[in-house]
Amino acid sequence: MLKFRKFYFDFIGKRKIWFIISLVVILAGVAGFLIRGASFNLGIDFLGGSLIEVEFSRDTNISEVRSVISEIGLENAIIQQTEFQRTVSNRFIIRTTPIDSETENEMIDLLDEKIGLTGSPLQDRTVDPGFSKQITRYALIAIGISIIGILIYVWIRFEFRLGASAIVALIHDVLVTVGIYAILNREINTSTIAAILTIIGYSINDTIVVFDRIRENTPLSGRLGYGKIVNDSINITLSRSINTSFTTLIPILLLLILGTTALRDFALALTIGIIAGTYSSICIASPLLVVWNNRFPKYKK
Amino acid sequence: MRNKKVHITIIIIFIIIVGVSLYYILEKPINLGLDLKGGTQIILRPTEAGGEEVISEKLEAAIDIIRDRIDSLGVSEPLITKDLSNNIVIQLPGVKDPERAKEIIGKTAKLEFRLVKGTFISTKDQTWNLVKFDAEKGELIIDPDAEEVLLVDDINDFINENPYTIIGELLDDPESEEKLLIEYIEEDNQEEDADAEDTSSTGIDPEKIIGTIIYDSGTGELLLTDYNDGSEIGEILVDSRTGAATLAEPALLTGDSLAQAAAGYATNGEIRVTLSFKDEGVEIFKQITTDNIGRNLAIVLDEEIKSAPYIRVPIPDGNAEITGINSLEEAKDIEIVLQFGALPVNLKIEESSTVGPTLGMDSLNKGLYAGIIGFVLIIVFMFSFYKGLGFYSSLGLVIYVIFFWGIISAMGAAITLPGIAGIILTIGMAVDANVIIFARIREEAAKNKSTRTAIGFGFKNALRTIVDSNVTTLITAAALYRFGTGPIKGFAVTLSIGVVISMVISLLFTRSMMFLMSGFSRFATPGFLGIKKGSSE
Repeated sequence: MLKFRKFYFDFIGKRKIWFIISLVVILAGVAGFLIRGASFNLGIDFLGGSLIEVEFSRDTNISEVRSVISEIGLENAIIQQTEFQRTVSNRFIIRTTPIDSETENEMIDLLDEKIGLTGSPLQDRTVDPGFSKQITRYALIAIGISIIGILIYVWIRFEFRLGASAIVALIHDVLVTVGIYAILNREINTSTIAAILTIIGYSINDTIVVFDRIRENTPLSGRLGYGKIVNDSINITLSRSINTSFTTLIPILLLLILGTTALRDFALALTIGIIAGTYSSICIASPLLVVWNNRFPKYKK
Repeated sequence: MRNKKVHITIIIIFIIIVGVSLYYILEKPINLGLDLKGGTQIILRPTEAGGEEVISEKLEAAIDIIRDRIDSLGVSEPLITKDLSNNIVIQLPGVKDPERAKEIIGKTAKLEFRLVKGTFISTKDQTWNLVKFDAEKGELIIDPDAEEVLLVDDINDFINENPYTIIGELLDDPESEEKLLIEYIEEDNQEEDADAEDTSSTGIDPEKIIGTIIYDSGTGELLLTDYNDGSEIGEILVDSRTGAATLAEPALLTGDSLAQAAAGYATNGEIRVTLSFKDEGVEIFKQITTDNIGRNLAIVLDEEIKSAPYIRVPIPDGNAEITGINSLEEAKDIEIVLQFGALPVNLKIEESSTVGPTLGMDSLNKGLYAGIIGFVLIIVFMFSFYKGLGFYSSLGLVIYVIFFWGIISAMGAAITLPGIAGIILTIGMAVDANVIIFARIREEAAKNKSTRTAIGFGFKNALRTIVDSNVTTLITAAALYRFGTGPIKGFAVTLSIGVVISMVISLLFTRSMMFLMSGFSRFATPGFLGIKKGSSE
């Protein structure tokens, strides 16, 4: 018989709470997108445009930068002050619609003249709006192919219902990550997509660990009921699920704390995704499997 | 015992691999990606006039020309590749002047020699202005209050009040959106003609129409076409010196006939690029200059008139020069682009990004810092949670880092900014397999099995789970590699390498180590494994 430590939690019984929590986070994200508009969260990779990061030689602020560049008609630019060495710096990122190199040089000269720059721009990118459509298309294809690939793999290794439940959990992870980005008002760029794809590949791990155990214990379900078997399997693998996620999270959290702006962008998506992945394998994928299986008499008491 | 031999062999193989990895780490420095060491990346989309598909031969030819041009710029280790959609991706590490590089790389360098028909002017209140031409939009910029828009045969003669001829007048075609070029009627005859105009239905005598001005949206050219059959008579080009709209006849000679181009100064100190032709080019050039004495021959580079010298005498030796250049650097650029010939396709800059070296190095240092601290914390965690078993994961992790670094060095793969994140992520993931195995071993040991048996069962039960979870990560890494660009590809590579080697280390090295070590009683006690007999996980 299965024996447990003192800790035993009824994950399956509380499934409605989990479903509601996830739904709230995802809906809040969707609301965030709708309220602010996609242009606020999607970077130039997906919308096209120019991005330039400059460092000023004296203290300044967003409104001063804006007033300077409005002289050449760029008052609608999105301006952000970036952090350097964990403190607010005189580095600013200016995002505009695509501008040609002449306008850009004009802008740089103007900023240098009015405020003063420490040197040439730290970074300088321009993405053609047409090209950004291609990037967007490839990002969506990559996510789609990954999900389908994993569905097929899990389907072959387990069975369709387990595969489908795992995929729902994956989509949940992606939506939660994107949703929290919208809530936190963070920019989504190609790095975020790479992070999301990594989450897709990684967060399935926890689900597989749990499902593996469920499959092992399923022959016992005649006596105990499928729900009980699933809940036992979750509890028995719980420390493993948490430990694997925790060890992966350690360096990622350090990156989030110590890294530069670009690295932290990446680390944030991974952090959210890894936590969401562990949560979803326990609180979404497994209960979903029970709900689904209870409709089949084979597993009923 | 046979098993023991197998385990020892595995350990020896791993020691050899570690040695080889260390060799590569010391011999070959890590290759940093553009986003870390600083540089410029340009993505160019080749387009054919009229939106046709670009054939691969032309694309390859274009890449060769671009490579020659970049080499002449003296950029070290440029990387020129194609992406999935046949865009040309150019990486220029540490380039000093990215704007100039962009300028040179994207230039079509289509050189043409065309006879000038005339220049457009507009008149108003006894004064006149040049009609400018917006080449990008293919639009004539005409003062809305202008009384007349005229085509003057030689704008210099007109300005200097030398004898000149007004060839035609530009009028709106009442039957279409187009403009018509009409033979100019001298003022003396105007009254008489005005009567005639009143009688005709359109107001324009078809006999006097020289041609129709038509914008070709496929090529972006503003053409003068025959009123009857639509054939091309001339093209409106911008004069780069004045911005004036100039009507030029079709090209008589092109850059294909060019033998050499050289930038330098003329005796009068003017900056110029001297051109010399191949044999057949010399012949054609001689013919043109013989037949057209007294006219202006426009030297057109990329649809822009650079200069339009007056032909005084026939030029038999086939030497010409481009003047009207602002700086010696521009002259050098023209020399470079002409030297390697025109691009067979038009290139449009889709994406360009330049990263200064400071931003990237900062990320690299922070990434290393996070990696080292993360490494230490993971080891501390593994020891505190799995007691003696933490020893195996620490050893595995050290070997993992050496392998990983060695493979990256040996492959010469570039580490990109997302790649750093990938490395740090895989350090965390590398111990995942250990966690799964250790948990299983503890479970088995708790069923009062001997340590050796528990290790055997632990690995056997964990194997499937470990393979499954790594395969799914590899599936997404493959999708990333296939559909990602530049830095993202670098991330996919580091992620895949990390997943594969961490799996190999856990399933072979750690396993053999555990089997061998469990032969020593000290390493087989329940305390070492961190379990109490009889209890479950």
